[in-house]
Amino acid sequence: MNRVLIDLKASFKMFFRSKAAVFWTLAFPCILILLFGAIFSEMDSKYSLYVQDLDQTPSSIGFIEALNLTNAFNLHILEDPAINATEYALDKELSYILVIPEGFENDLGTANATIKFIYDQSQTSASVVMGILNSVINEMNKILSDGVDFIRVQDETIAPKRFSFMDFFLPGMIAMSAMTTSIFSAVEISSRYRESGIFRKLATTPLRRIEWILSRTIYLIVVSFIGMAVILGLGIAFFDVKIIPDPMSLVLVATTSMLFSGIGMILSRFVKDPETAGAAANAITFPMMFLSGSFFPLEQMPEFLRSIATVLPLTYVNNGLRDTMIMGEPHRAIMNTIIVVVLGVICLLVGAWITKWEED
Amino acid sequence: MLLGRNDVAIEVDSLVKKYGDLTAVDSISFTINKGEIFSFLGPNGAGKTTTVEVLECLRKPTSGHAFVLGFGISKDQDEIKKRIGVLPQEFNTFDSLTVRENLQYFAGMFGSSVDVDGLIKLVDLEDKRNEQYKKLSGGLKQRLGVAMALVNDPEIVFLDEPTGGLDPKARHEVWNVIRGLKKRGKTVFLTTHYMEEAEVLSDTVTIIHKGKIVATGTPEELITRHGQRNLLILKNTDKAAVPLVETLGLEANFDSGAGDVKVTLNHSSDLSEIVRALTLKQIAFGEMQLKRSSLEDVFLNLTGETLREAETL
Repeated sequence: MNRVLIDLKASFKMFFRSKAAVFWTLAFPCILILLFGAIFSEMDSKYSLYVQDLDQTPSSIGFIEALNLTNAFNLHILEDPAINATEYALDKELSYILVIPEGFENDLGTANATIKFIYDQSQTSASVVMGILNSVINEMNKILSDGVDFIRVQDETIAPKRFSFMDFFLPGMIAMSAMTTSIFSAVEISSRYRESGIFRKLATTPLRRIEWILSRTIYLIVVSFIGMAVILGLGIAFFDVKIIPDPMSLVLVATTSMLFSGIGMILSRFVKDPETAGAAANAITFPMMFLSGSFFPLEQMPEFLRSIATVLPLTYVNNGLRDTMIMGEPHRAIMNTIIVVVLGVICLLVGAWITKWEED
Repeated sequence: MLLGRNDVAIEVDSLVKKYGDLTAVDSISFTINKGEIFSFLGPNGAGKTTTVEVLECLRKPTSGHAFVLGFGISKDQDEIKKRIGVLPQEFNTFDSLTVRENLQYFAGMFGSSVDVDGLIKLVDLEDKRNEQYKKLSGGLKQRLGVAMALVNDPEIVFLDEPTGGLDPKARHEVWNVIRGLKKRGKTVFLTTHYMEEAEVLSDTVTIIHKGKIVATGTPEELITRHGQRNLLILKNTDKAAVPLVETLGLEANFDSGAGDVKVTLNHSSDLSEIVRALTLKQIAFGEMQLKRSSLEDVFLNLTGETLREAETL
C-alpha cells in the first residue's frame, strides 16, 4: 500500500506541474461551459420587444403593463410617433415590433380594437412570441367581456423545479470531462511509459503491476472529482445552477473514470505508439461526446442517432447524472449506475489484465 | 532456489532465448564473480540486452538456467529484484520530477531508507538535485540513472549501454562513476558495444556475437590470445633499419611514402632491443609510435568482421 501512496503522490506532482494536463483537464471544460453558457443561456432570457404606442391612453398603457407583467419580454418603447415601425425594424434589424395604433382605446369600446405585430419570420422564436402576445390579448378579452373559464389548465412540471439549459448541460460536461481525462491519461501514460522504457525500469522494482494500476485508477478518479468540483463551482458561480452532487453521482463519476481508463489501457495495448493511441482515443471519445446527449438532449436527435446512443456507455452516465443531479431522484439513476458500474469493472479488469510491463 | 558458491554473483548455463524463429541468445554459459566489473561486449543485436533482461527477470528464457546471487531467475524473481540495481538501455524516468524526487520515488518502491543526498553526491549531481529530469543533459541523465540503480543498495548493478549516445566528456564521467561502484564492492554487469569502454573498465570481458559467446577473459588475455601483435612505427627512419631489425627475429618493412619503418613486436621487451641496436649502428630515427592491439582486433579476428560491419548486418 505504501508503494501505491508513493506512486499517487508522484502522479499528482506530475499532474500539477504539467500545464497541458491542467489545461485540458480543468481549464478546457471551463472554457466550454462559459462558451456554451454564453450561447445557450440566451434561450432562458426574455425576448426583446419594441413597442410603439400611438394611442397614449390608459388602455394602451395598461396593455403594455400587462405585457410587462408576463416577465417574458424586455420592452423597448419607441417614443417618436413619427417613426415608421416597419422601416425602423428593417433599419435596426429588429425581430419584433408591436404597434398600438391611435384610437385603440376608442376601438375597445366597440370591440373592434387591433394591434399590429411586425416580426421577422426567419426567427424561430417568432411563434413563441406571438403565442405569448395572444395569451395576453385573450386574457384581456375575457376580462373586458366578463367571460368565465369553463376549462382551466393545471400546470405540473416533470422536474420539481424550473431548470435552465446549464442545469442540463453541466452533468454532460462532468461526464465528458471524466471520460476524456481518464481515457487520454490512460492511453498517454501507458504508451509513453512503454515507449520510453519507464515500464521496464518499474518492472525491475518490487512495485507490482496491480499496485501501479490501483494507483492510476485512484489518481484518475480523484482528478475526475476535481474536474467535477471545478465544473459545478463554475456553474454555481456564473450560471446559478441549483444542482448538488450526491453519493450516487460520485459513484457514477468514479465508475466512469474506471470504465474509460480501462478502455484507454486496452487501446494502448493494441496501438502502441503514443500518437496513434491518442488518435484512437479521439476516435472513440469524439462521436461519444455528441451522440450520447452530453451537449444536447437525445430527444432532439433523429431516431437512428438515438439508437446509436443506446450502445454508448456515456449515454448511461449522462442519463444517470441528470436523474440524480437535476431531477434530484437518485433512485431513477440506479439502472444507469448499475450499467456503468458493470461496464467499468469489466473494462478496468480487462485493461489491467492485458497491460504488460515486461515482454515475453 | 539457492545455488552455487558464495563468491559467484551470476551463473548462466546453456541459456536460450528465442523470439519466434529468431534465436537471440543461443545456449550461452558464463560465470561472474562477486566484486568484478564484467563486460558483455558485442554489436547491436548480438543478444546482450536480451541476456541482461532475462537475468533482470524482465524476460522469460526459452530454455537453460541462470542464477543471480544463487537465486533462480524463474522462481525467485522477488528475491533477485531486491538485490539488483538496473540501468536499462536508453534509460528514462519521470520527466517532471526532480533528480531528488525521482530517487525518492524509486527508493520508496524498494522500501529503502537509502541516503538519497549521498547518492546524489556519489554521482556528482549536487547542483542539479532540484532540477527536473527533462532539463538534464544526456550525461547527467545517465548519472541519475546510475544513482537510481543504487537506491536499494544492490549487490549487483546491471548497466545496459550506460554511455550510449554520450559525448566523450560525459562518457568519461560515467566511467568514473562505474569505477566508484567497484570500489564500493559492487558487482557490475556492463553491456556495451564500445570496445574502449570494455577494455578500460572491465575485469572480465565476454564477447557475444549472433547470440553466441565467442570469447571470455580479461582484456589483456583476450588481446594476447586473439589480438594482433603490437606495431612499432619509427618515423623518418633510414631503410637500413629494416635488415638490422630483422636480425633480431622481428618482421619489419619500409614505408617509402611516409619514410617510416614498421616493426611487428612479439614481446614488449623487443622495443628496448630495437632501440639499443639502432643506437649501436648509429641509425637515426625520429618519433616512435606504438600501436597496441585492442579488443577491436580481437573481435575482428574472432568474427571476421569489424564491430561496425557486424552492426550493419
